[in-house]
Amino acid sequence: MIILDIKNLTLEIESNGVLIKALDKVSLTVKENEIRALVGETGSGKSLIVRAISGALPPQWIVTADRLTWRGENLLTMKQAQRQAIMRRDIAVIFQDPMAALDPSSRLQEQLLESVPEEFVEGRYWWERNRSKMKIAKQILARVGIENVAQCINKYPHELSLDICQKFMIALALISQPTLLIADDPTRGMETNIKKQILALFTHLNKTRDLSILFVGHDLLAISAMAHSMTVLYCGQTVESGKMKALRKRPLHPYTKALLDSAPSFSPDLQPKSRLVALDGTIPTLQHLPIGCRLGPRCPRAAKECVQAPTERSINEHKYRCHYPLHLQVV
Amino acid sequence: MINTLFRFLNLTFITLCILVVLSFALAYFFPGDTWLNLFGAEFIQDQPTLMLVAEQTNVLMAFWYYIQALLEGEWGVSFATGNALYPEIMRLLPATLELSLYAITIALVLGIPLGFIAGMQYHKKIDNIFMSSSMVMYSFPVFWLALLLILIVSLQAQWLPMSGRLSLLFDIPHRTGFILLDIWLSDVPYKQAALYDALQHLILPTLSVSFIAFAVFLRTTRRSVADVLQTEYIKCAQTRGLPSSTIFFRHVLRNALLPVLPLLALQISTLMTNVMIVETIFSWPGIGDWLIQAIYERDFPAIRAGMLLVAMVVVVMTLSLECLSQMIDPTRDRFAYARH
Repeated sequence: MIILDIKNLTLEIESNGVLIKALDKVSLTVKENEIRALVGETGSGKSLIVRAISGALPPQWIVTADRLTWRGENLLTMKQAQRQAIMRRDIAVIFQDPMAALDPSSRLQEQLLESVPEEFVEGRYWWERNRSKMKIAKQILARVGIENVAQCINKYPHELSLDICQKFMIALALISQPTLLIADDPTRGMETNIKKQILALFTHLNKTRDLSILFVGHDLLAISAMAHSMTVLYCGQTVESGKMKALRKRPLHPYTKALLDSAPSFSPDLQPKSRLVALDGTIPTLQHLPIGCRLGPRCPRAAKECVQAPTERSINEHKYRCHYPLHLQVV
Repeated sequence: MINTLFRFLNLTFITLCILVVLSFALAYFFPGDTWLNLFGAEFIQDQPTLMLVAEQTNVLMAFWYYIQALLEGEWGVSFATGNALYPEIMRLLPATLELSLYAITIALVLGIPLGFIAGMQYHKKIDNIFMSSSMVMYSFPVFWLALLLILIVSLQAQWLPMSGRLSLLFDIPHRTGFILLDIWLSDVPYKQAALYDALQHLILPTLSVSFIAFAVFLRTTRRSVADVLQTEYIKCAQTRGLPSSTIFFRHVLRNALLPVLPLLALQISTLMTNVMIVETIFSWPGIGDWLIQAIYERDFPAIRAGMLLVAMVVVVMTLSLECLSQMIDPTRDRFAYARH
């Protein structure tokens, strides 16, 4: 069953009197018990999607969507209180920069304890409730792999290292036992061991607690190991989405292929010291977006029609937006 | 914590030393005899030996004598009245402090909550109303405002008295120098009436001083609140689905007030200037009125002593507020760690 359903999400930002489409008809779904990866280059709008879902956008940015629903309920039109309740219990978000996302002037303990949902707290009197909250908090901190909990919990964010703060963000997100976890590059800046530990925790929660995860990142190796399905984003447009295996085996969109080719670990027969495959050019800035398919100017297969934005086509569950998809001539 | 305290004490000490040097230099800059300028005529007549010493010593020795005299409370004698300066200044200072205290309290109590309202309603109707009216208030010259208040409230409507601290009918013994406190402590039979009269005298001067301070506090707080509301951690707290009241009291309030406090410290000198102007207009018997009189009369020892004291008060208050704001800020040593 689809729990988060986004169809044609468009985000417009006004800049110098002109509306720029930072996100252009993005479609994304997350099913129950699924780990969905959202992949794209830096600046492709991954974080914007996360913010649009969680409602953490500045009010002057215009969000429109054909569908932006949580279990069939429209997130954009529902009442503030209802959305707050969903964000409190069902959806949890891990933001990219833990230093900015934690309140600099309050201790980590206060921030963690205030996020414990009231339903989990046992006891009648405030001291019992506090003890119960503390117990829950310590459990979750131990689970995300923070050693010497007692020492860390009384510190301010700036007194701890980045990866402990990031683990803390993860604990903050998991403490309400959400149905969907949106993780915006949760392992950024971490060393490999801790990264593995966190990813293993996500996989474990997905298997044992039926946690659905929308994993945003660009570590293709990690993603392909844990994700069930993947959506590829380029410059604010979803270019392709489908099952992880199908996408890896037979990418239909030239950008997906380029992305996969650029990761050395996916090409086992790569010769030492050979050049990595990459598309020419760079991702365009928001002020100079090409019309139609935004990959157009960089695409090896681009043709005249590519100035018209391709509509979404799908083969089974494999969706793509391209006029000249790869591999299809063969099929 | 100890480090911060020590640093600020050190800073205060050095600043005060520089002030003393400057006040000493004033005696040389004023026309006339240096020692006469420093201590006043009568003082020197009383101590003829000092004159002899003065003629023989160089500048450094003179400065040493000056510091000794300052520490002993021998601040010299006024040209105009022949009174010793130190007791006179100490008698006048509480009146000024009282006026500034009430004015700053009113400005804080009104300015900061309204600033919060404006900041929460950033760029909405209420915010715009507050911003434009505070701009108007901020642009009022304080002397004009005071005159306007006298003209309308005192002369035309005759609601409130226009000058002084207390009606001449009442005779309150001088104890602390704070008029309300003095009346409270005294055991005169007309206590109630005197208190009422003193409050009536206080209203207009307090209002004119707090007018501009209020506008500044409102604008500072509003800016700070608006900045905090834009930050990632507030957005993040919202996405965690915390109730708005929790977000406000746990996260917005403290983070918005922390940067406001040092900015308020900067306002103290402006406040003191305004208080001095208002004192002159309302004939408030404080140090400002007295100092301006001294300037008119070219009373050099009085100018020197008055300036030294006012500058000291401003420096000590500003630095202690700044020290306080540093000590209560939990993020104070943020930059001692590596930037992420």
